[in-house]
Amino acid sequence: MTSVAIPSGVWRRECLAEIRRSWRLPQFLVPTVLTPAAFYALFTLALNKSPSPTAAAMTLAGYGVFAATGPALFGFGAGVAMEREQGLIELKRVSPMPAGAYVAAKLAAAIMTTAMAVALIDMLSLVAGVRMPLANWAALTTLHLLSALPFALIGFGLGMRLGGKAAVAAANALYLGSAVLGGLWIPPEALPGWMRMAGELVPSFHLAQLARAIVGAPTVGSSATHAAIVAMMTVAAGVWAWAGWRRSPA
Amino acid sequence: MLDLSAVATLTGVTKRLGGKPVLNRLDLAIRAGEVTALIGPNGAGKSTSVGLLTGRLTPDAGEARLFGLDPQRPAARRRMGVMLQSAGLPDVMTVRELVTLQSGYYVDPRPVSETLDLAGLTELAERRCGGLSGGQARRVQYALAICGQPDLLVLDEPTAAMDRASARTLWATVREMADRGASVLLTSHDLAEADALADRVLLMDRGRVVADDTPAAIRARAGGAVIRCRTRLAPAWASVLPGIREAGTDGADLRVVVADAAPAARMLLEADPALTGLRIADATLEDAIAQLLAAEERIAA
Repeated sequence: MTSVAIPSGVWRRECLAEIRRSWRLPQFLVPTVLTPAAFYALFTLALNKSPSPTAAAMTLAGYGVFAATGPALFGFGAGVAMEREQGLIELKRVSPMPAGAYVAAKLAAAIMTTAMAVALIDMLSLVAGVRMPLANWAALTTLHLLSALPFALIGFGLGMRLGGKAAVAAANALYLGSAVLGGLWIPPEALPGWMRMAGELVPSFHLAQLARAIVGAPTVGSSATHAAIVAMMTVAAGVWAWAGWRRSPA
Repeated sequence: MLDLSAVATLTGVTKRLGGKPVLNRLDLAIRAGEVTALIGPNGAGKSTSVGLLTGRLTPDAGEARLFGLDPQRPAARRRMGVMLQSAGLPDVMTVRELVTLQSGYYVDPRPVSETLDLAGLTELAERRCGGLSGGQARRVQYALAICGQPDLLVLDEPTAAMDRASARTLWATVREMADRGASVLLTSHDLAEADALADRVLLMDRGRVVADDTPAAIRARAGGAVIRCRTRLAPAWASVLPGIREAGTDGADLRVVVADAAPAARMLLEADPALTGLRIADATLEDAIAQLLAAEERIAA
């Protein structure tokens, strides 16, 4: 009878291989790591001359979420679509690799990239005078890293359905759209009413509100509600991504 | 169709792709320990059949089974190695890294160094896949297919883009694996390859299996001999030859396929005493297949 045992360490090796691959593609790694830090330095620190630590902490909450959306949307959305066009997914799909290991590996690489981007922003915020108890730093970092998850699943769903070029365009639109509507750059209270309303539909808005609560900045709505909405959006994105994987012929 | 010795089966499978019917109630079985060659013209349904057996596609109707399981189950795939034409390789990984990663998917893989050696990749092991030539990339695909010591090896046009020496090495290792009890499913445009490797040929045409036999039996079924000669006689004239199957030109030569060589050769020599360069050969698998397909065409018309 067939052995159904999965060889041990498949998931771990797949994750390590994917992280190594990301390292060898500096043309993708460097911009996704530097862009959020550059924006944070420019818009929060440089343009405001010497911002108060409170203001620097409030914007840190949003920019950390922004740092997670890039690797997730581009690594998954554009990356998966290109890998599909190159026949790399086909290579994996006829192999005995468990499908989950592919997603876990891509997610590990996206979270690694996010961690580097977030670490840069965190350092800049320290320079700007942001001080928090260690527990808050830990909670904020965890939240920022987990912010990659819903966007990774949305990106995966796109990547399984669109061609390479279309997926890059869609990832760009979502990258910028979720940053603006989610209030990651400009606080939501400063946005026009309709944009503020549309923001409710993007996970980044709710993630940023959760992050603001951790740094002690003013928020709208309760954290429990935001957490529940993010969880539902993540599950929905996961179902959508899974359906795309199942349906795609290659 | 219940075939207990089958390692992979399609039973009553219907599949449409892009709105067009590709397979219509197809039955097909790959038996244990045999090298099976799936051949036929473009659009016959070979790739679709391979896609269904490897779980990349799912049937619209009917059933695909791999070792008695749904081909999409990793437990079934763990006993299969696949070399696809359409699959790519990750540019920034080295050959050794990729083969090592793939070996890790299997329960009892071959040692990586042995896999590299069998595929002729030992010298290229530290090279990144992005810098390989087409033929070298095909050898990496082959290594990925055999690294898990699979019970079923699926090779889609394995020697396309390979040089002759690489192709011969590949044939030898495939033959060796089959002799050690592995089953092999091979699609090929190269009928010499099918003839050299296969225990059994499945000829497909328009989504159906139209012949299922050993290469020798298929050659015999079409039978006959191929006569080539330099002559002023036109192919049209050759239709008067006894037992004529096919007449045409091959370069400057007249080429006819006939049931029996002697009477036809005698008539040719009588009709053109100046005839030179007479050669008589057994019909090849390619000749036989061409005749079988032509017969199918007549039935369909």
